[in-house]
Amino acid sequence: MALGLALVLASCGDGKSSSGGGSGAKSETIAMVADPLEYINPLNDNGSPGIGIAMAIFAPLVQTDPETGKLQNVMADSVTPDKTSQTWTIKLKAGNTFQNGQPLTAKDYVDSWNMTAEGSNGWKNNGFFSKVEGYDALNPPAPAGATPKPTAVKTLSGLKQIDDLTFSVKLKVPFSQFGLTLQYLGLAPLPEEVRKNPDAYKRKPIGNGPFKMAGAWNAGDDIKLTKWDGYKGPQLPQADNITYKFIPNGDTAYNEFLAGNLDFVDVPPTKVKSFKTDAPDQSVTSISSGANYLVIPAWDPRFKNPKLRHAFSEAIDRKAFADLVGLSEPAKGLVAPDMAGYRDNACKYCDFDASKAKADLAAAGGFSGVLNINYNTSSATGQIFAEAIGNMLRQNLGLQVKYTGKQSSEIGALADSRKLDGLRFSGWGHDYPSIEDYLTPMFKSNGDANFAHYSNPALDAVLAKGDAQPDPEQAIKLYQQAEDIALEDMPLIPLYTKSNAYLHSAKIQPRVSKYVGVSALWATFK
Amino acid sequence: MIRFVLRRVLAAIPIGLIVTLGVFALVFAMPGDPLRELAGDKPIPAAVLAAKRAQYHLDDPFIVQYLLSMKDILTGHFGTTFAGADIGDQLRLRIPVTLKLATLSMVFQWVLGLIFGIYAGFKRNGWVDRSLLLATLVLLAIPGLVAYFAAQYLFAVELKWFPVSGVLEGYPRSYLLPALVIGVLGFAGLGRLMRTSIVETVNADFVKTARAKGLGEQRVLWRHILPNALLPVVTFIGLDLAGLFGGAIITESIFNLPGLGQFMFQAVKLKEGGVVVLLCTLAFISFILINLLVDVLYGVLDPRVRNV
Repeated sequence: MALGLALVLASCGDGKSSSGGGSGAKSETIAMVADPLEYINPLNDNGSPGIGIAMAIFAPLVQTDPETGKLQNVMADSVTPDKTSQTWTIKLKAGNTFQNGQPLTAKDYVDSWNMTAEGSNGWKNNGFFSKVEGYDALNPPAPAGATPKPTAVKTLSGLKQIDDLTFSVKLKVPFSQFGLTLQYLGLAPLPEEVRKNPDAYKRKPIGNGPFKMAGAWNAGDDIKLTKWDGYKGPQLPQADNITYKFIPNGDTAYNEFLAGNLDFVDVPPTKVKSFKTDAPDQSVTSISSGANYLVIPAWDPRFKNPKLRHAFSEAIDRKAFADLVGLSEPAKGLVAPDMAGYRDNACKYCDFDASKAKADLAAAGGFSGVLNINYNTSSATGQIFAEAIGNMLRQNLGLQVKYTGKQSSEIGALADSRKLDGLRFSGWGHDYPSIEDYLTPMFKSNGDANFAHYSNPALDAVLAKGDAQPDPEQAIKLYQQAEDIALEDMPLIPLYTKSNAYLHSAKIQPRVSKYVGVSALWATFK
Repeated sequence: MIRFVLRRVLAAIPIGLIVTLGVFALVFAMPGDPLRELAGDKPIPAAVLAAKRAQYHLDDPFIVQYLLSMKDILTGHFGTTFAGADIGDQLRLRIPVTLKLATLSMVFQWVLGLIFGIYAGFKRNGWVDRSLLLATLVLLAIPGLVAYFAAQYLFAVELKWFPVSGVLEGYPRSYLLPALVIGVLGFAGLGRLMRTSIVETVNADFVKTARAKGLGEQRVLWRHILPNALLPVVTFIGLDLAGLFGGAIITESIFNLPGLGQFMFQAVKLKEGGVVVLLCTLAFISFILINLLVDVLYGVLDPRVRNV
């Protein structure tokens, strides 16, 4: 399952705490259900633990206001697109510094971003800059097996420093949602001394956010943070000290919480049915976290007829399936319900109707052969979910069904080379709060997360119009048209939207926001 | 004796090469793409993928990758894992954790197993013997996974006698609970073997002869029965120690002990051939050493095998 960054951020990200020092300092211990981190460098990290910790140590240019869902400035003073949304001018607030005392300038952003955009550095957020003019010169295609060579060009031609506090970004094509993407922590600035030798600072990051490292951090240690007074952004966290504890086994982390050693922990999938009784009045759930789908292989001619896809969709009893998953609601569209522009009943073919399903399948000329459903063997529930869907399709459409368990990377590799046989599960969570971040990655031709290898020029054209439309309301209307096209073609069958659950100790109340999910970093102390 | 040891060590080298080559081939043949697995669900740009693949020689032929791994092991330049961890650092961090857990659990297992086995063997069909036979039967039937979580919940979460997980409370406190569970689960096999071996030895002709010669009971027990009854048990302990590594993968995960087992699990998950082979080499070397020790001990217990 692919769940995007926001999901990941919501699920792992934050924490504050309150007890701790003798002087009434507010401390908290937050569980990270992950292997211990090896380094902290948000530009070279796109996983949830790394970005979650970056949220504490680094500050973004802009962020989503957890109350209103509107974008608000953090390090940026203004973010202004030109008339076509192709060139964006970013002005920084004066007076912000890094935790080493150096002033934060436009040069820090420009140089850090150029470093990340250079392919030979191999930094994980390199792909973010593919929309910026000049990216290709820094990322020439390398022959298989060869180490990409450092290029002669060291800077993105689209990235320009204008003065100490102002820089501009010229994109390859207009993109009306670019401002929203600037809240991603993977775009954090690194100060000059870190840029000179990132490896030397991999365990002593110098950020610009509300927290700094509280002391030395060695491999395998918990990460201890303490409040940094130099941070002047909106919405200051209440915690004075935070400890991030790495516990790779989710059930063990849950037991640590029950023993009273943690202030915040994710509820593991195995405890979804029991957490409310295990820890009464100590849990919160997030409203939504992306969306989950069944992926139809667009390259397989047996699935070509959209009527057949509608039939599959109508044969699925989403309510029963969501109950099986737990903490879930049946999906009624292709975007998460908390996005601006979400429509409650966008999907015309997502209601369970066995007789209509049969009729549609007959109209499509039936399905030939055995239907294979691929599931991920490293997920405890993979096979159970596959069999649930398979049984519905078997009973309601009379199909012959079989199941194949594989590692998720193998499913991905087979799908990429268009050799995957049959259906698979997938999911997506947005990186920035825009319905565009569901439609472009999943449905645009060659989109990053277009697991179905679906392609429809009409949809691409509407998306491009939305990207070029500076008025947000108008842009949403265009994106909704794209969603309608995708729902009619149905390369993905919407299944459910899942909530995440978390346990918290009595001393904190995590922030729960409809717009940015659950956060322990911004918890309120009692 | 020195020639015997040397011969054994030399014989181990080709076996070690075959074992590591086999393990590397198995990891190589595993499905899945490590870098994709590492990236989770986010798409990775082609340039980054190419840089990483080149860094870890993932596009080289199998045998080249194997030789590069062996070179790293022999030269001690272990490099970093796919996730960016320094492998040398990881070993320094993790070997002591696994050793502490292994020794402590072995102590529990041996003490329990030997005491029970010897006592039950002598007092065959007594109530201790019968109840312990039943108890060990039950223990042998419990899956480790269930026992570890149940013990963690009962003794750490509910009763708070032990820390739940992690190594923050140091040695031995942090290791007591997992070591006890491993020891108790493991003692069943050892105890039963010890008991059977005692029973067989007690009835052997040479014991009857010793008694007929009028030797005292203590002397018969310590000089005649025990050395002979211990022979099969020593072999069992050797094999058991070697198998400990596999068990550590589960125990270390549930009790969040940053040992070699967890390292191995991550490496297998990510198809990290070099690390898997390095850990297997370590396991293999300890296996050889332990077996050498067992054989030397054998010679001490039974002079007849010294010159074999």
